Amino acid sequence: MRRVAYYKGCLASLSAKELDSSTKALAPMVGLELVELESVTCCGAGDIHEAEPDYYLHLNARILAYAEATGCDMLMTVCNVCTLNLRQANFMLQGDEELLARVNENLASVGVPAYSGKVDVRHFLWEIAEGEGYEALKQVAHRGLKGLKVAPFYGCQILRPSKIMGFEDPDRPWSLERIIEACGGEAVDYPAKVKCCGFPIIAAREETALGELIQPVEQAIEAGADVMVTPCPLCHLSLDAWQQKLEASTGRAFKMPVLHLAQLVGVAAGLEEAELKFKRHIVDPRPALERLEV
Amino acid sequence: MKVGLKIWRYDSATGDRALREYEIEAPEEATLLDCLDIVKDRHDGSLAYRKSCRMMICGSCGMRMDGAAVLACKTRMYDIAQEGRVPVISAMGNLPIVKDLVVDMDPFWSKFKAMWPWLEPGYDRPDDGREYRISQERMNVIHKEALCINCGCCVSECNAMESDPEFLGPQALAKGMRFVGDPRDGATVERLERYNREHGIWDCTRCYFCNERCPKGVDPRDAIAKLGAESIRLGIDRDMGAKHAKWFVRSTETTGWLREEELIPKTQGYVSAIKQLKFGASLARHGKVRPVPIPHVARDVNEARNLRKVVQEQDREGALGIVQGERALARLAHGGGAESLEEIYARPGAAPRPFLPGDAEGGAVSPPGAGGSAGGASSAGEGSAQGQGSLTQADVTPGKEPTRKRGGE
Repeated sequence: MRRVAYYKGCLASLSAKELDSSTKALAPMVGLELVELESVTCCGAGDIHEAEPDYYLHLNARILAYAEATGCDMLMTVCNVCTLNLRQANFMLQGDEELLARVNENLASVGVPAYSGKVDVRHFLWEIAEGEGYEALKQVAHRGLKGLKVAPFYGCQILRPSKIMGFEDPDRPWSLERIIEACGGEAVDYPAKVKCCGFPIIAAREETALGELIQPVEQAIEAGADVMVTPCPLCHLSLDAWQQKLEASTGRAFKMPVLHLAQLVGVAAGLEEAELKFKRHIVDPRPALERLEV
Repeated sequence: MKVGLKIWRYDSATGDRALREYEIEAPEEATLLDCLDIVKDRHDGSLAYRKSCRMMICGSCGMRMDGAAVLACKTRMYDIAQEGRVPVISAMGNLPIVKDLVVDMDPFWSKFKAMWPWLEPGYDRPDDGREYRISQERMNVIHKEALCINCGCCVSECNAMESDPEFLGPQALAKGMRFVGDPRDGATVERLERYNREHGIWDCTRCYFCNERCPKGVDPRDAIAKLGAESIRLGIDRDMGAKHAKWFVRSTETTGWLREEELIPKTQGYVSAIKQLKFGASLARHGKVRPVPIPHVARDVNEARNLRKVVQEQDREGALGIVQGERALARLAHGGGAESLEEIYARPGAAPRPFLPGDAEGGAVSPPGAGGSAGGASSAGEGSAQGQGSLTQADVTPGKEPTRKRGGE
């Protein structure tokens, strides 16, 4: 078992509780002991980076400091946006001693422990896509997905900017496909899998956002997918919840179920509804899964 | 060395399009631009593309290779030729194609002009009559933005512009920051008011394709964030995007976590948000939102609140808050933190290097999950939209207008 600090972020705390419960159920099965962080806030989601960037840096430094205080050398995220924000802040602090010293002084003044710069921020996806996590995944996915056709949707901020993410080729990623296949599913391919779901501007510029969102939904259907899977709860929210707005504006019934990554693996590993919580989805994935007797 | 290229040929006058394959003999140091010159000189004089300086200064030779915008003069072909790959070359996206690899730059330049790309006088002349001097610290704010060569690689891949063709876009907005951040400019507020309009700063969807593609390290997305930060610092925050961003700040200092349920009314206003009631009810049925938002307060949230007060007193908000991290992040571009692709695929337990468009069928490397579902090597190379790694429909079927799908269509 590897102890890792677990930062669930805002969505898994509230609107995507199903992501939190399925991640917690799955983690020990793939060799991860999650140490949940309590005294932490939102990472700012790119919005505080844009509104008050110095505050953004300090908020994220505070999260990193509390992660380090657990004694873990890794902070695990389950959201693309948290991953980018925390990794970016982490690199800013690691690469600039003066900046790290100033931030630590400010943290100390409000009673937060100092941050040394030694925590690594990684997404759950990366933990199960290669190495020991991947080997464990192959063992636990015994129930299999029985050829379920799955459209992987990466979202933006786990691929780009690649100098901050650096896990895989941002134009030809493979991690989700590898996991789908290891679980006995069939990965379908489509161009929009690396593009934007529109979520960051869905409240302020809904029309533009929906013009982005329709691409992965339409293309996944054209490619014959039974379900989609994404490592990001923000992508999940727009794909799942805003899909009804696409249906209203186009007059078409898409009804494409979207699974969180931990749920997809969870199905293959035999997790139950109590942990998967599919009833919390707007487009219920259960009919698609039952039809295939997964 | 032998270099193979597949080039999408297109003629807007006739609408004819075809994918042509060329095999040429090129020196080992050849760039993609050198190879196109050889094609044009020795194989097919009708090939159209733009070039001028051949050394990453003029920004003329932006085009797509395997779906990703590149400067042809910056792209060395040696490794690709060694691997036996035959890359697909096509025109940039988000701009109409005139012929082959030449796009119509008029929409690009009209957005550029809309930024008032000149210094508005307004500064005081130094008393000694000498030139106006800018400190290094003040120049650092716009150092990256000033590197832009107007090549359009960022615009080519902009996801927001695909959906809203009127979006000013990464190049124009980064240029705007170049003037907003210049201490000699006398029109900062007027500029920010202008850039805050519809199709401006707050239309950026943060897909980060612009940062990924820029061949000069401008990082246009970061420039847009600097414009947002300057706008909010100066109180130019009427746009819904600015209100959205400010709500995150308010959330972290009151409850710690984002107050999601109030995000839409706080962004759009309570009156407009009434239109969302039916949508909100559908979310509530599945427990996504609660009928009455009960604060979900993080432990020790007072620390975040106090931290914000401390930070505000130090006056590093606005663009400076982003600029202060640039020195550290710049090192990553030179391999300081992120690994190269070669290193990534050499990690113990890593997946095999995935398939690239143009790989020979049954080649040494096959994609994870290639088993017939990933489009297949040959079809991807020939321009099937299914090709793993192909980015957009426009990339493989040039001449077709960029997607430009709006929600209502």
